[in-house]
Amino acid sequence: MFKNYLKTTFRNLWKNKGYTFLNIFGLAIGIACAALIFLWVEDELNYNDYFSNKENLYKIKDSQTYDGTTFTFDATPGPLAPGIKSEIPGIKNTARTTWGNQSLFSLDDKNIYEQGMYVDSSFLSMFGLKFIQGKAATAFQQLYSVVISKKMAEKFFGSTNVVGKSLRVDNKQNYVVSGVIEDLPENVSFKFDWVAPFKIYLDQNDWLQQWGNNGIVTYVETASNANIASINKKLYNYLDTKGQGFNAKFSIYPMSRWRMYDSWKNGKEVPGRIKFVNLFSLIAWIILIIACINFMNLSTARSEQRAREVGVRKVLGAGKGKLIVQFIGESLIMALISALVAIGIVYLALPAFNSLVEKQLFVGISNPVHIVALLAIALICGLIAGSYPAFYLSSFNPVTVLNGLKIKSSGSAGFIRKGLVIVQFSISIVLIISTIIVYQQIHHVKNRDLGYNKQNLIYLQLQGNMKQHFNAIKNDLLQTGVVQNAALSRSIVLQLGSNTGNFQWQGKDPNKQVLITVEGVSPEYTSTMGMHIKEGRDFYADIKSDSNNVIINETLAKIMGGKNILGSVLSQGDSKYTVVGVMKDFIYNNMYSPSSPLILFPDTSSVNYLTIRLNAKHNLPESIAKVEKVIKTDNPGFPFEAKFVDEQFDQFFKAETLIGKLASVFSVLAIFISCLGLFGLAAYTAERRTKEIGIRKVLGASAKGLAGLLSKDFLYLVAFSCILAFPIAWWMMHNWLEKYEYRINISWTIFLIAGLLALLIALITVSFQAIKVALSNPVKSLRSE
Amino acid sequence: MIKIKDLEKIYRTEEVETVALNKLSFNVKEGEFVAVMGPSGCGKSTLLNILGLLDDPDSGSFIFNGIEVAHFNERKRADLRKRNIGFVFQSFNLIDELTVFENVELPLIYLGVKSDERKKRVEEVLDKVQIMHRKNHYPQQLSGGQQQRVAVARAVVNNPKLILADEPTGNLDSSNGNEVMQMLTELNEQGTTIVMVTHSEHDARYSHRIIRMLDGQTVTENILV
Repeated sequence: MFKNYLKTTFRNLWKNKGYTFLNIFGLAIGIACAALIFLWVEDELNYNDYFSNKENLYKIKDSQTYDGTTFTFDATPGPLAPGIKSEIPGIKNTARTTWGNQSLFSLDDKNIYEQGMYVDSSFLSMFGLKFIQGKAATAFQQLYSVVISKKMAEKFFGSTNVVGKSLRVDNKQNYVVSGVIEDLPENVSFKFDWVAPFKIYLDQNDWLQQWGNNGIVTYVETASNANIASINKKLYNYLDTKGQGFNAKFSIYPMSRWRMYDSWKNGKEVPGRIKFVNLFSLIAWIILIIACINFMNLSTARSEQRAREVGVRKVLGAGKGKLIVQFIGESLIMALISALVAIGIVYLALPAFNSLVEKQLFVGISNPVHIVALLAIALICGLIAGSYPAFYLSSFNPVTVLNGLKIKSSGSAGFIRKGLVIVQFSISIVLIISTIIVYQQIHHVKNRDLGYNKQNLIYLQLQGNMKQHFNAIKNDLLQTGVVQNAALSRSIVLQLGSNTGNFQWQGKDPNKQVLITVEGVSPEYTSTMGMHIKEGRDFYADIKSDSNNVIINETLAKIMGGKNILGSVLSQGDSKYTVVGVMKDFIYNNMYSPSSPLILFPDTSSVNYLTIRLNAKHNLPESIAKVEKVIKTDNPGFPFEAKFVDEQFDQFFKAETLIGKLASVFSVLAIFISCLGLFGLAAYTAERRTKEIGIRKVLGASAKGLAGLLSKDFLYLVAFSCILAFPIAWWMMHNWLEKYEYRINISWTIFLIAGLLALLIALITVSFQAIKVALSNPVKSLRSE
Repeated sequence: MIKIKDLEKIYRTEEVETVALNKLSFNVKEGEFVAVMGPSGCGKSTLLNILGLLDDPDSGSFIFNGIEVAHFNERKRADLRKRNIGFVFQSFNLIDELTVFENVELPLIYLGVKSDERKKRVEEVLDKVQIMHRKNHYPQQLSGGQQQRVAVARAVVNNPKLILADEPTGNLDSSNGNEVMQMLTELNEQGTTIVMVTHSEHDARYSHRIIRMLDGQTVTENILV
């Protein structure tokens, strides 16, 4: 019996090649889209799986409350790691790391910046780094030792057999290579090519030894039977055992949640990246459903051709159940073929998709999980797509179909078919609207006035003696004519990393702490950035004459009372600072929020960056070349690496840009698949109405009128889809925008555009068939009846 | 074999009520060959559909082989049908996607006959209707007469007790038509009961008895043998 079904299936598919192609191709595109999305989702969900000890690894989170609002950081004090390891049961091991350091490594004439971290030696074993050369246990026996990645070893030495060889770091100190590790995969939370003993960093940064200073990351490995709640309970008040007046409350945060969650609002974890993962999984299923709907529509539309077969089979004794099995079997076969075609499409599309999502995904066809997943998708599609046609076809009355009576198209089948088209187009329209709004929002924020001019602004990390020779470098830069100004700062202007709650001023409630961002800069800072002083003055060019003066931003000025701020004194412990200027707010850290309180100190003791304002009138590559020449002359021995502030600014919108790109790709595909279905339906309708059209033509209808007549019904469906889609899209996007403080208003024109676009696309799809039929010879169509 | 009494079938739409069978009664004995004649719309086809268990009457009694089947549900009807009744249609109704062999094999598949046995029986019956040489051809590659021979082969492959033929020669020329009628006669001589609907007096003469219908009722019965 099965063989008989297979035969009928394949012969039927072959006989109706056009429909078969539309069906299989539409479903294959759907499955391929879903497969690509699921590959991405899998990669996201498997984040950090590289670390075999994942379930016992944690990092310390640090929550601090200011004025009723809790902020959550990764920054921890230096003594925390050794302290909790010895004092809190259940903590098996701890490791401290820096945030990530870009250091210059040199060997002979090779000078390359490499990303790495200073880590406690326990880090090597806790995270199970895979040593190709050397051993985790002995790697950090010597102070100036470094463990490097295979990639980095090959870059410098051309081989991995390099233990015992030296590399010079930052032109200051030689480090001995004590181990070579496997390169880390892309989907882990760490990006480093070298690790060196934490002690080196600790020795250079005395301030880390104090409990009140949070400046490094602490990782924890728990015993496998540890009671996490009890560890957290002890950690919460741990600082109170070390002194008074500390605000920080600690807790451990499991590695399994770092990638998908690790977003915090007022001390509570809120969904982070998991939102995207869920969103795109949903989109994958939606696309599959759209593809399945095509399948259902085309199969039922074609049902008249199969009706006689159904009749004959019934007369010969086939029950309804057997026919249902036959038709579902048919759609399963189609789904399976589609899945095979989809694998081909995925192979072809993967390079482009990888560059879109900036990952290195691969098909992994031999991976049993992938095989099972693909078969499951094919099975689900086959069942969904086959169910309705199977019940519909098998319900035909043999007497009716064998007598050649037409199956009524105005009945429930036609109604369901129309409903399905409306569902497809509603989804497509919602996707179009969402895409437009996401892009508008990104555009809106990207063009936000940040309070300074981010164009023509470049920055370099300070290296060698640049800090000490800043004045000379600045003069030489100005001499080139391509540079307008230059300044030093502790952080990049986009992201200011230091804050404190310890400042007091007259009139402040002593029990209330205000979290204030602090930034050490050279006097040229505000003028280089193009920021505005609202009241008072900028810093004097001679930094010494402002040593106890500060500039604050408008937001802080408002918090301090707003009036007569100039001359007010801010104190922190024994230090007192006089406000000499109030600057207009500029946006940093969160591009969607208003500015937060800020103090600028004329203090270059801990600056890391040189920011340069280029003259917009000059050609950019030429300007960069001139700047490079100055930097290399004044600070020899270091390669020149400049970054553009506006390019870094774009990095802030990576997640949003990714959503935008994916949403646009998948809405185009959703519409394409819907149109394949519409095309098939239009062809079917045209075929079905051949006689009617013939009669109308004989009676004098024009080709134009007929094309309109045939298109009209479909356009009504699309119009109805708009009515359904608009409120859904509005509601969804309104919710999405809510989370951004700086956002667009949803304009009605977007709906108009999306609606017209859908109508236009549908019209093009349908009119092809309509025109073909309208132009055909009426005699032919009448004779064929 | 067939006893029908006061059989009624009425088709209703919103505005029109059409009486297809009006208190129809007659019997068919086992081994009989009966022709049903009458003008278009007299209820012949409706009768054949009910006799073939494809449709059920609104009222009245239909005893098939001693069992009252007038109100059997669809599954019971299908079961009874596939074991006892073969059909021959005017338009042959072969499945285009299946070969001659596969078309004839189909009833045996639905009966659950094993593959070897199926092959034997299909070849036997194809031999009988002299179409064995075309067993791997598709219906559209055959002439009308050949297609109807295949249809007859399919109708008899499971040795039904009753064959229902709906204008079996309607789409055939006279020589092909005669050939089909000859085949039906032979089947009847071997013991199969046949009820045939026809417009053709010539074909009707092959039967034992002609039932003439008008407006859903029998008007005359002519016994020929």
